[in-house]
Amino acid sequence: MLIASLKNIRFGYTDVPCLVDANIEIRSGEFVAVTGPNGAAKTTLLRLALGLLQPWEGSVELASRNPDGGKLTVGYVPQQVASFNGGFPSTVWEFVRSGRHVRGSWFRKLKASDHEQTEQALRNVGLWGLRHRKIGELSGGQKQRLCIARALAQEPDLLVLDEPATGMDQESRLAFYELLHHQVKGLGRTVVMVTHEMSESEKYLDRVIMLERKEDGGWRCCTTTSCSGHFAPVG
Amino acid sequence: MLHYDFMQRAFCAGGLIALVASVLGVYLMLRRQALMADMLSHVSLAGVAAGVYFGMNPTVSGFVMAVLGSIAVEYVRRVYRSYSEISVAIIMIGGLSSAVILMSLNKSVNVNFTSYLFGSVVAVNWTELTLMFAVALIGACYFWLFRRPLYHLTFDEDTATTGGFPVRRITLSFSVLTGMIVAAAMPIVGVLLVSSLIVLPAALAIRIARSFASALWLAMAFGLAGVFSGLTASYELSTPPGGTIALVLLAFLVAGIGIRKAVLWIAKSRPKAEDLADEAAVGPIPRIHEDSSAV
Repeated sequence: MLIASLKNIRFGYTDVPCLVDANIEIRSGEFVAVTGPNGAAKTTLLRLALGLLQPWEGSVELASRNPDGGKLTVGYVPQQVASFNGGFPSTVWEFVRSGRHVRGSWFRKLKASDHEQTEQALRNVGLWGLRHRKIGELSGGQKQRLCIARALAQEPDLLVLDEPATGMDQESRLAFYELLHHQVKGLGRTVVMVTHEMSESEKYLDRVIMLERKEDGGWRCCTTTSCSGHFAPVG
Repeated sequence: MLHYDFMQRAFCAGGLIALVASVLGVYLMLRRQALMADMLSHVSLAGVAAGVYFGMNPTVSGFVMAVLGSIAVEYVRRVYRSYSEISVAIIMIGGLSSAVILMSLNKSVNVNFTSYLFGSVVAVNWTELTLMFAVALIGACYFWLFRRPLYHLTFDEDTATTGGFPVRRITLSFSVLTGMIVAAAMPIVGVLLVSSLIVLPAALAIRIARSFASALWLAMAFGLAGVFSGLTASYELSTPPGGTIALVLLAFLVAGIGIRKAVLWIAKSRPKAEDLADEAAVGPIPRIHEDSSAV
């Protein structure tokens, strides 16, 4: 099942386009990496796919339903360095538990199962011991894990992560990629991840979308069906 | 003191404003829109001046103008997404300059504007009290019903959007509610002091609170305590009530930050055993094969 589709996308922040003829399809149950050099519009591509930006030209379609027919749940972990609201008065537990708000009605009372999912998400990222801390007291790497935990607590059908392993030590990165692999293969979720570094994650990936510069400026998407294959232009 | 009818109304009006303005302040501060109350009160003043000039009810025209200003600021904020304070500055300039020009067009009504500039909480009438009660009731219902979406979009609008919350509609309705609260509070506490009731309790609560819910409750408690002790001090010392309330709230803020620093200094010198244990328990992300129940 097609979860997200971008066709013939043209987009720029000024009058100069940074993405030209971008075409992407994300299917349910895939673990996809988006990679490319600095300034290659990787984050822009994700934000377009999520509907946070509107393209100049082309179409963006994000499925409204998951493969089971329920409402599609999207977990998004943006690049944290710039956006994390460190002064926000919230505990780690309260923040991660807020991921459960997106499931069902806004007004429903959170149940024991919601608390179990929150606890499991915190344990998965190794922050259970800090659940009573204020989020502003965490280190940069811990804040990154915190946002991942909140996204995991949502039990998302589509998990979108923008450079999620930034600030993680090597041991944590390896465990993190295993965790994402488990999300895809064990729980049937779809994961899209922006990354610069693929040597540690490529064995888990189903597909890589690489952004490369066009001859006449801008960036377009090239994709490969397996990490060991050659990149073939699709845009 | 409370056997006077005007003091009973002052305590009722002040208490209502304190409760609703403090909660509003927590959201505004975290969204980096702390000056929005200032801006809306100036826009509302332009509405009052326009009402007087055109022979309309100034309270109604001030109310309508504040709501329109809150909608305008939301649209300008979308243009300057990374610098939301710029939208506040732009609309404030428009409001203040319009107010000055409209007031200058009819010098005979200048006396009326004094009560809008400095407020008259001890001279609040039943109409103003009823309006404040209605707005406080709407505000309480809004903050209760939308507490979850507001938590998400106050932290980050992008993740709130991808989480499926109708961010545009909620931010617009939040801005309109802000305009309503400021416009209803303005005749009571004045243009120059309305932001003190919004900003100061929230500023202290955010510094002290550990959780979001406790920040909201603490802000309400500080707001109520500041208004009630300010009104009492004003009665006993025969000082202007609005200024006294603002100074009491400022004293609360300074004292609260000082006490917090002292508590943190003591806590640092004597770390709790459970905090040290929590810190020791934090390690790298656990490998998935060690815990097959991963969500």
